[in-house]
Amino acid sequence: MITAVQKPFAEIQAMVEGYSNLLVLGCGTCVTVCMAGGEKEAGILASTLRLAGRQKGLKMRIVEDTIERQCDREFFDTVRDKVEAADAVLSLACGVGVQFCSEVFAGKRVLPGLNTRFYGTTEQQGIWSERCAGCGTCVLDRFGGVCPVARCSKSLLNGPCGGSQNGMCEVDQENIQCGWQLIYDRMKSLGLLHLLEENQPIKDWRTGRDGGPGKIVREDMVLDT
Amino acid sequence: MAKQSEKKIVAFCCENSALKAAEALDGPAALEVLAAVELVRLPCTGKAETGLLLECLEKGHPGVLVLGCPADNCKFLVGSSRARKRVEVTRRLLKEAGLSEERVHMDFVSSVDAHRLGRIVREMQERLAALEPAPTPIGGKS
Repeated sequence: MITAVQKPFAEIQAMVEGYSNLLVLGCGTCVTVCMAGGEKEAGILASTLRLAGRQKGLKMRIVEDTIERQCDREFFDTVRDKVEAADAVLSLACGVGVQFCSEVFAGKRVLPGLNTRFYGTTEQQGIWSERCAGCGTCVLDRFGGVCPVARCSKSLLNGPCGGSQNGMCEVDQENIQCGWQLIYDRMKSLGLLHLLEENQPIKDWRTGRDGGPGKIVREDMVLDT
Repeated sequence: MAKQSEKKIVAFCCENSALKAAEALDGPAALEVLAAVELVRLPCTGKAETGLLLECLEKGHPGVLVLGCPADNCKFLVGSSRARKRVEVTRRLLKEAGLSEERVHMDFVSSVDAHRLGRIVREMQERLAALEPAPTPIGGKS
């Protein structure tokens, strides 16, 4: 899933200043699972904004709602009236949802309430960690299912750097495991260490961010217009 | 519906401890507590959510008490500790919103602590009395 964290409250407050009619719009998919922008979080943020506005004597009307996904057009139908009635929408979706909400409601100010972080997994309730960098050319088959692009701080494909110590990465020795230690351990347990002897060719990064904004077209699925 | 000034402190009580303590009160002590707080029964304070605590303040209640079992005596093992974390988050949010964090308070009361309950309520009343009155609702939920 796409993970995110809520922006600092002071930043959100500054962003919504001047709007007298605000819709806090949660997203019911990824950011609900990572407890950043779902129904509960939209309710808590809207409550906090109302209390803060009241404390400052501001005449702000703040309502909240949550839709299934903000990255698919059809789900916006249920909140169309609320969006149109609002001066601005504070979207608690990931960056995709914020942009798409802005596209669906052209002319409406849509503000981001979250900082989108990474594609990650739920290690346990309350802890999420990165697993995929969306490079567009998956190499997991060569590394025992541990991604060197996402999990090595330098995205090295041919072994660890000198900053790997006791299984931890020099970028943060307390919190970041060395991705290459993980790869080595996994390949050893699979009896596939010999595959790590192979030199990996230079990776074509054009399928990721370096190739510009991505687009996927499935001709067999595109509806005729 | 009562006016904001007449609204009571909301006390979310674990039914295994604080609520039993409240039920054990009698005489003037019981009257004093019941005049000051609105008791809300919870199966465990672990059920108290941040949004719910904020909503009480939004609706004009002057303060919120969360009264759970002593942390090492929770029937559901971690309910009280979870509630404590949520109360801490709520207090941080209130501070960020420019309100006093004293409006939300957690305490731990066993079922035989009826005498302590009265004191906890009185202390909460004193803390709230020292604060500026909370502003009245303007828009959105109220």
